[in-house]
Amino acid sequence: MEGLTRRYDDTVAIDHVTLEVPRGTILGIIGPSGSGKTTLIRMLTGTLEPSEGKLSVLGQHPRRFTRHTREKLGYMPQHFVLYEELTATENLSFVAALFGLLWPKRGRRVKEMLRLVELWEARDRRARQLSGGMQRRLELACALVHDPLLLFVDEPTAGLDPILRTKVWAEFRRLRDVGRTLVVTTQVVGEAEYCDRVAVLSKARVIALAPPEELRRMALGGDVIEITTAQAVDATRLENLPGVRAVHQDTPRHFLVVAADAATATPRVVQEIHAIGDEVVASSEYRPSFDEVFTALISQADGADVDQAEEEDRGSRRRHVARAA
Amino acid sequence: MGAVADTLLGLLKSWTRTTAFISKEVREVIRRPGALFSLIFGPFVIMGVFGLGYSGQYRALSTVLVVPRSANLPRDANFYQQFGGESVRIVGITDDVDAARARLQRQEIDLLVVAPADLEQNFLSGQQSAIDIEYNELDPVRDNYARFVAYRQVQELNRALIEQVIGQGEQYILQSTGAQPPITIPPQVIAAPTRPEPRNLAPISPNVIAFFSPAVLALVLQHMGVTLTALSLVRERLTGAMDIFRVAPVRALEILIGKYLAYAFFNLSIAAALSFLLIGGLHVPLLSPPGDMARVVVLLSFAAVGLGLLISTIVDSERQAVQLSMLVLLTSVFFSGFVLPLDQFVTPLRIASYALPVTHGIQLLQDFMLRGATNESWELLVLGAIGVLLFLLTWTTVRRNLRSAS
Repeated sequence: MEGLTRRYDDTVAIDHVTLEVPRGTILGIIGPSGSGKTTLIRMLTGTLEPSEGKLSVLGQHPRRFTRHTREKLGYMPQHFVLYEELTATENLSFVAALFGLLWPKRGRRVKEMLRLVELWEARDRRARQLSGGMQRRLELACALVHDPLLLFVDEPTAGLDPILRTKVWAEFRRLRDVGRTLVVTTQVVGEAEYCDRVAVLSKARVIALAPPEELRRMALGGDVIEITTAQAVDATRLENLPGVRAVHQDTPRHFLVVAADAATATPRVVQEIHAIGDEVVASSEYRPSFDEVFTALISQADGADVDQAEEEDRGSRRRHVARAA
Repeated sequence: MGAVADTLLGLLKSWTRTTAFISKEVREVIRRPGALFSLIFGPFVIMGVFGLGYSGQYRALSTVLVVPRSANLPRDANFYQQFGGESVRIVGITDDVDAARARLQRQEIDLLVVAPADLEQNFLSGQQSAIDIEYNELDPVRDNYARFVAYRQVQELNRALIEQVIGQGEQYILQSTGAQPPITIPPQVIAAPTRPEPRNLAPISPNVIAFFSPAVLALVLQHMGVTLTALSLVRERLTGAMDIFRVAPVRALEILIGKYLAYAFFNLSIAAALSFLLIGGLHVPLLSPPGDMARVVVLLSFAAVGLGLLISTIVDSERQAVQLSMLVLLTSVFFSGFVLPLDQFVTPLRIASYALPVTHGIQLLQDFMLRGATNESWELLVLGAIGVLLFLLTWTTVRRNLRSAS
């Protein structure tokens, strides 16, 4: 997609988003509530017309998907949309039929999926009698039942316990490994780790798009080395070392060094500390949680927005002064 | 003192909780102006239209007079119109009784009056003449009305004849004092030279239960079809199931045909059960072949399901769907001919009532069940056309819904 935009009257829900999802990968779309994740998914599935921009999914514009192409799509909506009075098996069979699975195969796939999402025991229970987590699993099974090539999943693990969440992601990665492509939105930031690439959405814009590790580096400005020394040290003098970008000292004996490459910077940092008569007690690469990464990226984006706004404001005032002169 | 304060505080909290509900309920209601409108103004509009469009009067019965050539009676419609007053409208005078009766059988006219060929001779020979008055009514109320009109017409005719006799009294006296033997006319013949012989050409004269049963069946079928289906699509739109349909390779036509067949199955099952109860339990006659009745039931169900699905595609909530279904029911009870005959409504309203599937369902089911055939075959076509139109409208709306999420 290129410059994809969707407006609702005066509100911009998706603002010039450009990204590409290679086949056989998992793209995670992470962002706070209202950032435009579901709108993006809806445009990708063809249920919503973009206001502007180019979009191609499986070689077609989603608004002009052929039936054959649609059979290759899987979709799991954000909320439970299945039929409460139908049993788990009946719901699954209904969705499988919608996607054109004929009977012998349909029966087989329904069984496989019920087992996969661990609902086999509950297969004859009506959907309204299932717990929230079971309902989500049933929806996931519905999205997977026809073995789609491309799967759009809107917050699949909301309401699932951590064990099941891990299983769901294991299944996603298994699908990826057999060549399926997945676009997954989530508010559980930690799940970014399971994705091949992550798009961070904030205020309708993609503020970062990279593999998870790269995202960490982007958030913190590079690799981060965590250093603990035997005695108090003024860490600011490390800032001048080659390859070191920043130093954040939180206590006299503990600080974080941001470097372009941790492998080359660490020996230099240790050597410098020795040179000033101190000793490194511990040094390791600091791996911030994705919550921290996400918060940092959002803050950076917000800061950039503020900077940009201030710059625009200054520019406007300059132009105003120039016009007045 | 502390206990009193606690009690007062408790009461105050209780009142606060109660007012929270009052405030919440009032806000919820007033923020749904559409629901409020359909709840209050819907029935009000229906009653208003009913008040404006219902005349409460029987229309004049279209009457053909059969006057035999040998009867030596006037052949001017205006002459006879005076006997009928406003309750009849003489639309023709003929001497061909079979042709006139055929028109009555086809329900082109309401009343057929056959004048006796030898009225004067019968009178002079002291005998009452029978005036055959034929009509073709299933409705027990209209049957009585036709009889009433028949008696009234004959009464008026008798009055005119008596006046004529009294006017000619002098001649009779002369005749009685002459050489010829005197004429003896019994007093009852002088008082009523003619008597009506009313005859209903309808194959049966159903009682009230038998007459209204086909109408109840039609109304129940329409209501079931509308109410069941009105909730169907709106639920899918509200829960978001429509999102899955949008992604899946499913077409609006497939969704619609699936829903039509499912709900038609329900409707036809209900129709079968009700028909069994009516015919087997209440002994309501079925004079036509069952296939004729089945045709009406299928077409009515097709139209009713279409109406329900159309409601389902345009409302915003299940509550609104139920409200609209109830308004359709109310409209149908008033304007379909279920309770009040359609000819008692003003013409524009009568025409509008034919837009309701149940109007045709009632007419056709009554005809097929109680007459064995219908003279209103065009209503089958109109019922089918309503069904097709509703199907096309619903199809268009579902396609639009499928194309784009809001």
